[in-house]
Amino acid sequence: MLARDAENLFWAGRYLERAEDTARLLDVTYHGLLEANAAEQRAAWSSALEAVGLRDAFEKSGRSLTAANVSEFLVRDGENPGSIVSAVEAARENVRTVRESLSTECWEAINSFCLSMRSRNLEIEIEQQPHELYGFIRRQCQTVAGVASETLARDDGWRFLRLGWNLERAEWTCRLLRVRQVHLEAPGFHEWVGTLRSASALEAYRRTSRGSMDPADVIEFLLLSDSFPRSVFFAIRSAETSLRELGTGDEPSQPLRLVGRLRAELEFADPRELLTGDFEGELTRIERSIRGVCSAVGVQYFINIHDVDLHMLQVFPGAGVE
Amino acid sequence: MASELFNDYDTEGFFDEVFEATGAPRQHYSALLKRLSYFSAEELARRERRRDADFRNQGITFTVYGEDEGIERTFPMDLMPRVITAEEWSHIEAGLEQRVTVLNRFLDDLYVGERAAIHDGVIPWWVVTSSDGFSREAFGIPMPLGARCLVAGIDLVRDGNGVYRVLEDNLRSPSGISYVVENRVAMTRLLPQMFADTPVRPVDHYGRSLLGALNRVAPASASDNPTVVVLTPGVFNSAYFEHVFLAAHMGVELVEGRDLVVDDQVVYMRTTKGLKRVDVIYRRIDDAFLDPVVFRPDSSLGVPGLMSAARSGSVTIVNAVGNGVADDKAVYAYVPALTRYYLDEEPILPNVETYLLWDPDQLASVLNRLDQLVIKPVAEAGGYGITIGPAASDEDLAKCRADIIADPRNWIAQELISLSRHPTLIDDHAEGRHVDLRPFVLTSDVVEVIPGGLTRVAMKKGSLVVNSSQGGGSKDTWVLAPTREDLEAEVATGSSEARPGSAEVSA
Repeated sequence: MLARDAENLFWAGRYLERAEDTARLLDVTYHGLLEANAAEQRAAWSSALEAVGLRDAFEKSGRSLTAANVSEFLVRDGENPGSIVSAVEAARENVRTVRESLSTECWEAINSFCLSMRSRNLEIEIEQQPHELYGFIRRQCQTVAGVASETLARDDGWRFLRLGWNLERAEWTCRLLRVRQVHLEAPGFHEWVGTLRSASALEAYRRTSRGSMDPADVIEFLLLSDSFPRSVFFAIRSAETSLRELGTGDEPSQPLRLVGRLRAELEFADPRELLTGDFEGELTRIERSIRGVCSAVGVQYFINIHDVDLHMLQVFPGAGVE
Repeated sequence: MASELFNDYDTEGFFDEVFEATGAPRQHYSALLKRLSYFSAEELARRERRRDADFRNQGITFTVYGEDEGIERTFPMDLMPRVITAEEWSHIEAGLEQRVTVLNRFLDDLYVGERAAIHDGVIPWWVVTSSDGFSREAFGIPMPLGARCLVAGIDLVRDGNGVYRVLEDNLRSPSGISYVVENRVAMTRLLPQMFADTPVRPVDHYGRSLLGALNRVAPASASDNPTVVVLTPGVFNSAYFEHVFLAAHMGVELVEGRDLVVDDQVVYMRTTKGLKRVDVIYRRIDDAFLDPVVFRPDSSLGVPGLMSAARSGSVTIVNAVGNGVADDKAVYAYVPALTRYYLDEEPILPNVETYLLWDPDQLASVLNRLDQLVIKPVAEAGGYGITIGPAASDEDLAKCRADIIADPRNWIAQELISLSRHPTLIDDHAEGRHVDLRPFVLTSDVVEVIPGGLTRVAMKKGSLVVNSSQGGGSKDTWVLAPTREDLEAEVATGSSEARPGSAEVSA
């Protein structure tokens, strides 16, 4: 497929996952804090900003750390490229340029999501009915995912869409864990419930853990579960599948090598060893590996035609030509 | 009439598509009017809102320039379709086949032929070379089957006597076919009952017909299954939706200039698996932006080296470069003469009476009655720059006069045609609005006319300007099959293409 189309689908997947994750995090943070004191509130919003990787950007914007300001910044600030509104607009723009390779239903789902975000009064909703708003965003993202899954052919376009989706998800869950693991020393039941909720993982976790809320179990579940689709391991394994199917020759591509190594590392990791060692450093390293996979995907598939290829064409006719 | 929609309807002396001068409905509209009468005005209004929401959610929009950051607008479709009888259509179709055949012959003669029409004095050389659309770069670039204008959109109007006339030829990148198909889809959803007693000929085979024609003009180097792409200037272009539509309906890649690369006079596209050779480019980029090496060096929309690849015959560019010369509005005045010259036939569809202003006699007479004529710039499209004499202020007319005197070659004058009108839903009732018709004509080894075309409506009362960029709307356009059986046969083959009697185009 066209390299530019592949890149647009990859990014559309990433933006949609980002919008959904951010909405869920905001929902959980907001509702977990209704009985908290001011200091706890500030700490929680600060950690939410860190989980989406936007604390520095927020501080630069000069706002004070309140629920209203953080929500505003993460939902409807068009200047903030990481806000939900920006992500949804960007997802639509990316999809708009590859519309011809998608199903009508899939494009319509994304387009009408974006249009309804434009027509809603987000300012009022953030203040008065945040749960409804975040629920709406989550459901719309899930609708797009469902429509995509039920109407798109399993071709390379689908693989790039899923690849972006899963790599974003893996990185996000990893960052969420890294931000929350500071509670490891002082386990708080409610924080861990909130963390699980932020990853839509509470019910799935309960069924496997039978009521324990041991941080080690939660972390193991979100990082290494092989059955929960939002765990880092699961998302990385899905990304590996996409990259394997995208491969052509016998040689694995560079992104496949990288993602395969990461998957193997997670698959055979010993949770106790992880938790007793430098866990934060380990998570930081995994995040960096995921970003490394993303760059390798870019080099392999999106900007893969270098001048040297053209030169090769003249020397070895047929080289690089499908 | 049972419906209150038409209670105060007045044709006001115009040729009305639906009603005779006596006020009686024309026979081919009677079934439709009966169906329509079952709907209350409120119900129709509700369906209009549904239509707008559907178009917006489906992103069936065009971008208006000049407004803040290019607003995406829907192209409003009136719920009352336009109906053309089988008999009328066969006349229009024959006329279009003839006209497009002549225009292709002219382009071929001009750019790769002996320029016989010029040597024989049918059209002056200086008129050709002074046209903005004339392109020296097009000389010698071959076009398989002589189909230099593979996709044409010919604008027709009906005058006060109901005679169909050609108003304009669009031989570069005529747009609107996506609305033809999407309007039909929308009508079948919004008012399915209206199709019940009427044998309406289908239009949704356009993608297949276009791809077939594009395949047939592939260069000899291409395989049996040529690689066809649609080349768009990008997502900010006003017709981007149409570009998406065309690629999707043909199942081919929609590329931008940066996706293509030319190496050793061969065009490739950049794919995730490396370079892939391209055989046919249906481009929706203007000539001037196509190749920065040959045309505008500041254009980033095109592909460096594309023209040299085309000249080598390794890739076919559709429509061919330089077609603008044949839809120049002054060259338009010569089409009847060209028809007699190339085909030895009289034009089936007449032109609108046109005056060429470099001729001192014509100029003098035009300047005398400027307030009764329509003055158009020769190279503009989209309805821009037109002065309609009777509607213009003294100031406008004075400016128009000065413009003409300064550069007579740049302007033409035409008799004002009192365009036919069609009832159109305005609030809770029907009012007459002026309409035109843009049918689409595909040329390869045969000429195929898609039944109907885009009927554009000047939504503003009394306005004669139907262009979408200037607030025009559209109507679904129904060409009736002669009988139910004919329609069923057409639906069964899925195409109106290659019927016996289609005009042959000589290469």
